[in-house]
Amino acid sequence: MLPSKQLRDRRLPAYHVVAGAVLAGFGIVLAGLVFLQLFRGQHYAELARENRVRPEVLRAPRGAIYDRNGELLADSAPCFGIVFQPFPAESTERVRETASLDWLARVAALIGVDSAEVRRQVELANRTGQSAVLLREAPFAVRAAVEELRVELPGIEVQVEPLRNYPHGSLAAHLLGYAGEINRAELDTLEAAGYRSGDLIGRTGVERRYEDHLRGRDGVEYVVVNARGRRVSTLSESGARLPEPGQDLTLTLDLKVQRALEEAMADVARGAAVALDPRDGGILALVSRPAYDPNEFSHGLSRARWRELSGGGANPLLNRAIQGVYPPGSTFKIVTMSAALLHGLARPDTRLAPCGGGMYYGGRRFACWEHRGHGSLDLIGALQHSCDVYFYQLGLRLGLADLGQTARAFGLGARTGVDLPQEARGLIPNAAYYDRRWGAGRWRSGLLLNLAIGQGELLLTPLQMALVAAEAANQGRPLRPHLVARVGRDRIFRPERPVQPGFAADPAIWGPVREAMELAVSAGTGGAARVPGVRVAGKTGTAQNPHGEDHALFVCFAPVDSPVVAVAVVVENAGHGGSVAAPRAGALLRRMFLPDSRQARVRRGAVADTAQAAAPDSEVVEGD
Amino acid sequence: MTRGRLRLPPLDLPLLAAALSLVGVGLITVYSATSIPGAHHGLWVRQLAWAGIAFAVGWVVASVHYRAYDALAWPLYGVSLLLLVLVLVMGTSAMGARRWLDLGPLHFQPSELAKVATVLVLARRFDQEKLDLRRFAHWFPALVLVLVPFALVAKEPDLGTSLTFPVILVVMYFWAGMPLRQLALGLSPVLNAALFLLTGTVWWSAGLVVALLALVRPRLSTLLVVLALNAGVGYALPHVWNHLHDYQKRRIETFLNPGSDPYRAGYQVIQSRIAIGSGGFVGTGYLRGTQKALAFLPMRHTDFIFSVVGEEFGLVGTAAVVLLFGLLILRGLRLALVARSGFASLLAVGVVTALFYHVMVNVLMTIGWAPVTGLPLPLISYGGTALVANGIQIGLLQNVALRRAEF
Repeated sequence: MLPSKQLRDRRLPAYHVVAGAVLAGFGIVLAGLVFLQLFRGQHYAELARENRVRPEVLRAPRGAIYDRNGELLADSAPCFGIVFQPFPAESTERVRETASLDWLARVAALIGVDSAEVRRQVELANRTGQSAVLLREAPFAVRAAVEELRVELPGIEVQVEPLRNYPHGSLAAHLLGYAGEINRAELDTLEAAGYRSGDLIGRTGVERRYEDHLRGRDGVEYVVVNARGRRVSTLSESGARLPEPGQDLTLTLDLKVQRALEEAMADVARGAAVALDPRDGGILALVSRPAYDPNEFSHGLSRARWRELSGGGANPLLNRAIQGVYPPGSTFKIVTMSAALLHGLARPDTRLAPCGGGMYYGGRRFACWEHRGHGSLDLIGALQHSCDVYFYQLGLRLGLADLGQTARAFGLGARTGVDLPQEARGLIPNAAYYDRRWGAGRWRSGLLLNLAIGQGELLLTPLQMALVAAEAANQGRPLRPHLVARVGRDRIFRPERPVQPGFAADPAIWGPVREAMELAVSAGTGGAARVPGVRVAGKTGTAQNPHGEDHALFVCFAPVDSPVVAVAVVVENAGHGGSVAAPRAGALLRRMFLPDSRQARVRRGAVADTAQAAAPDSEVVEGD
Repeated sequence: MTRGRLRLPPLDLPLLAAALSLVGVGLITVYSATSIPGAHHGLWVRQLAWAGIAFAVGWVVASVHYRAYDALAWPLYGVSLLLLVLVLVMGTSAMGARRWLDLGPLHFQPSELAKVATVLVLARRFDQEKLDLRRFAHWFPALVLVLVPFALVAKEPDLGTSLTFPVILVVMYFWAGMPLRQLALGLSPVLNAALFLLTGTVWWSAGLVVALLALVRPRLSTLLVVLALNAGVGYALPHVWNHLHDYQKRRIETFLNPGSDPYRAGYQVIQSRIAIGSGGFVGTGYLRGTQKALAFLPMRHTDFIFSVVGEEFGLVGTAAVVLLFGLLILRGLRLALVARSGFASLLAVGVVTALFYHVMVNVLMTIGWAPVTGLPLPLISYGGTALVANGIQIGLLQNVALRRAEF
């Protein structure tokens, strides 16, 4: 007996199992081949004879967007386009026909498109085997003509394509964003994710941020076409798939509030305004001026129009509410006051050196906007009257670190994490920043005076300003501003955890802040935001700006006892916060809190009101 | 003991003949598939050149004693892992996956080398006197050895190729003496997960596990471990799945089944089925296939070359190819049976498993019974590195054949 025989015998059982598995595998393969080639051979031979199977995309409708009450903000409407379906088939002859000048000229004339463009699209389609859109939104006359000439111009067909539709035009345009046809560069990177030419893709705003939810998934069916390129039947073969519609989004946005805010901001050349719900951080309304109409993108933009929208001085595509950064001016005194209370450096009744219209520090005079001086004020009075001299002194007591820490606890100097793309950070400078900028030790504490009144290097987005008001409204509880409330029919979308640490809900801090803000509206610089019967707390600001006229700012929340809205308004290069920004917030609040019947009366009254409140403001320059 | 007394032929001639015939089929089919207007003419010449190179390489591989490969197993394994990492860092990507290293004129696919190196290293580990694969300390290191290249290739992502590694491991485990029941228990969580992804419920999997345990009746400790693993998978998977966003589910679906995009891969499969089916019993005749002529059969000279065989030569042709593969693989398996050393036997089994897996996945893909994974058909598909890799595999089998009479 050879040793090899023993080895062999020992391996034999395993060999039988493995060999059996191999035979079974090849048996399955042979069975599949017999089935396909013998039993179904006729069927496939027939299909192959003219090779007439063509995949056709069943486009998934993009999800709609609704406001919190179910009002429609964006949906997809069907539109009719003219497409060229390449010949799957037989004839190089037909392909040659589509390349002939005569054919191209006829098609071009029929649908009213440049014949070079038709040629480009047709060549692409013949190369890739995918249909090409020759004309979007074909008018009825063209559609009818195409239907009539179908027999003479095989390959040219009418096809339904979804078109993005924004029923309210430019309303909330920056927040919704827009969806446009995917371009070639995007296709290169996104083809693996299932995008195909002709697809819509969200470019900015909610449309971009929630692209994956809104998009859905295209289906496909395999159609059998005859030699002339017309559909005969649908192949029952496996592989067809129904489209899965995109998911609808329900926003926290309130269309009524948005309308009111749009109206209040209608005559603003450049600026932004945000209304937040201070209870959960949901965005109720967001306006950026100048605006654009997202429907323009659905219909295809000319190059010139694109340049106009995307560039230029005004840059309408810029969402100033989250991408624009502004010095907060005196609205920042809310932060300075909170910092002083938090760090125990002042109490509500602390009186500092009286204001005589300015103070000297480091050999330089720092002026108060009230040249005549405010006299002796306590902390509450200082915020109410926006006394710069008082806040200069507070700033010096606080120091850079404490002021910065409080600002960051409010969520400033960092992205709020709102569910919109391209949010700006803003800037809360710290010692490292100044070291970088001026060199270590080469800057002085004098800059603290400017920071304390919201000037200097500070930069905030309007959304961050609204966040400050909202957090003051709810005792320093941190918030995550967000836009989407529900995905699909019933999936609740919980906002993610806030980014900022927030504060302890200490009434000894937030009571005085709210009291001072309320006084600033009822008997101070923010009188234009008053609403009869509703307690409003706010703070004006006028931010100096080296490039031109001051920016007007205002932040507020209401009602004071149980706040339901926090607002920030920024109007670029327009003057004083009290006379330019506060009346717009006031208009919004009155629309929200007063019944329609009282609107007209109050509006008339409000004029007098505003005039009164604005009167003291108009004589003076607020801020440094 | 001398070779003369055993009267064994030095080479396994049927195996060699089958391999050469398949390469021949590949050459004439590549010629046909690329003979249409607008295609890459003359690819068959390059394929012929590659076949020559593959033959030479295979010859060299066969002539060196396999003891050398035994000794080189670890360094080769190390190098192949290094190359797999390299491919992830600086590989050439095509169709969304990084699979190749660009070496000037040629593209090198390190996963091909990794397959062979993994077989060598497993054969070396399992070729021990006191091996007892029922023991954790004996089977677990092999699992780790296989999971590393598996994970690296899956990351490319190339799920089809990466699955070769665990398939090789399972068969080599069995060949090296792991009891079937233990294999079944060990594989049950994997089957469990696969069943869930296929059916969408955990009830099938639960039934499977209970049936398996009743059949195998393992020790209590094993029972508990297997139950815990399965329960873990069964609990976690649906939980995780339901918490995924739709688009995340879609990404996983596309990873598991790249052909699930019906517009591209699904269309390919339909075209491939039409081509094969229309071939009927005897086919449309050489160079007379219409599907491939219309350029609608994508990758007709690479991944879908079997469809061209099916169209032009019909069932006669496809059955002949399948039988040639059957001959090749069963001859290889026979070598594993008669090999003189444990290492050689395990080596043959590993190589045969890799070949069998590729043939099955590719052919089933072309008839629409397996997902579109982009695996070439061994020895037939156009492609230089794959052909050379096949040459090495055949060379290793012949190596075992040449030395089956030695001690």
